[in-house]
Amino acid sequence: MTLSLLLAVLGAAAGYFGALVGVGGGLLLIPGLVLLFRLDMPTAVATSLVGVIASSTAAGSAYVGKGLANMRLGMTLEISTTVGALTGALLGTRLNGEVLAGVFAVLVFVTAGALLRPGRGEHEAAVKGAHEDARGKGWEDSGSLGGGYVEPRTGETVRYRASRIPLGSAIALTAGVLSGLLGVGGGALKVPAMNLGMRIPMRVAAATSNFMVGVTAVSSLLVYFARGHVHPAIAAPTGLGVVVGALLGARMSGRFRPSVLRRVLAVALLLVGVEMTAHALGVHLGT
Amino acid sequence: MLGGLILRAAERETGTPDAPLFHLVRAGDLGSSTMAMGVLGLALTPILRVVALALIWLKERDWRFVAVAAFVLMMLGISILLGKG
Repeated sequence: MTLSLLLAVLGAAAGYFGALVGVGGGLLLIPGLVLLFRLDMPTAVATSLVGVIASSTAAGSAYVGKGLANMRLGMTLEISTTVGALTGALLGTRLNGEVLAGVFAVLVFVTAGALLRPGRGEHEAAVKGAHEDARGKGWEDSGSLGGGYVEPRTGETVRYRASRIPLGSAIALTAGVLSGLLGVGGGALKVPAMNLGMRIPMRVAAATSNFMVGVTAVSSLLVYFARGHVHPAIAAPTGLGVVVGALLGARMSGRFRPSVLRRVLAVALLLVGVEMTAHALGVHLGT
Repeated sequence: MLGGLILRAAERETGTPDAPLFHLVRAGDLGSSTMAMGVLGLALTPILRVVALALIWLKERDWRFVAVAAFVLMMLGISILLGKG
């Protein structure tokens, strides 16, 4: 029972900080599972994927209720994302744990660098706005990858149509590979792919990504299931902790200055990156 | 998942049953198998979402997206088959 509690606390911390700053909890969860609980990478990745599905299920319904998530667009991108996730998962169950830890460390350093760059305000505002606005209900155009919504701040109707679909699909494929290989949700790639690549409004991109990330995670989780890497005694408390932490973090995100949160998390991720690099090289730094 | 954890605590099950999921569902104690069923149920949720979307689009006669949803479901099926391989 102590172990379950500790796993739940780790999951809650990862979900909480992830929701506060708008990055996936997997970036904190996987190093915690590997470095603190001494799990092998495939088990840690599988556990993280359970957490991704749990938080996507918990939070995604809110987006759907507001009609901001474009299901046709999300499902179209899932064609390439599921292929990528399957590929990543097959690789992840075959690659050496140290190699995976090294790849994960690269992702962590890149994310830390991105957090320290200015200009994430729009993304955070859109994610928060997509989740909390009582107005702003959206719709999809039947038979196309377009739609619209009412912008709650101005009352203006915003119509959009997806463009450069091959580019969006290529980035979604990469996001799927990362998800399957490293147990992250992939939203950090999918949202910019839709917003910058396919010219989808940020609110719709964030809502669609949040809704679909669970489908991406399950396509790779099924591989880990089949290979016996999903351990319910580890996945269940961790997943529950992630949900609680993410919901709490989303609620409290307005109380902290985003720039401060980003810098704190960036520093934490840099330390995590160093630890994971050491793990990849077989050097133990005392954890 | 929560129910399984509570049952395990009530049964004073200690340690971490490191048996993988399907073994626990079939042969674990009540708490462990409940927990395992919870994890399985959670994993089914996104799959059920895709099925629900396929049915909605079928009703709307939006055949292109019915095919898209069917492809995604096929990929999910392939995931299990390739995973076992």
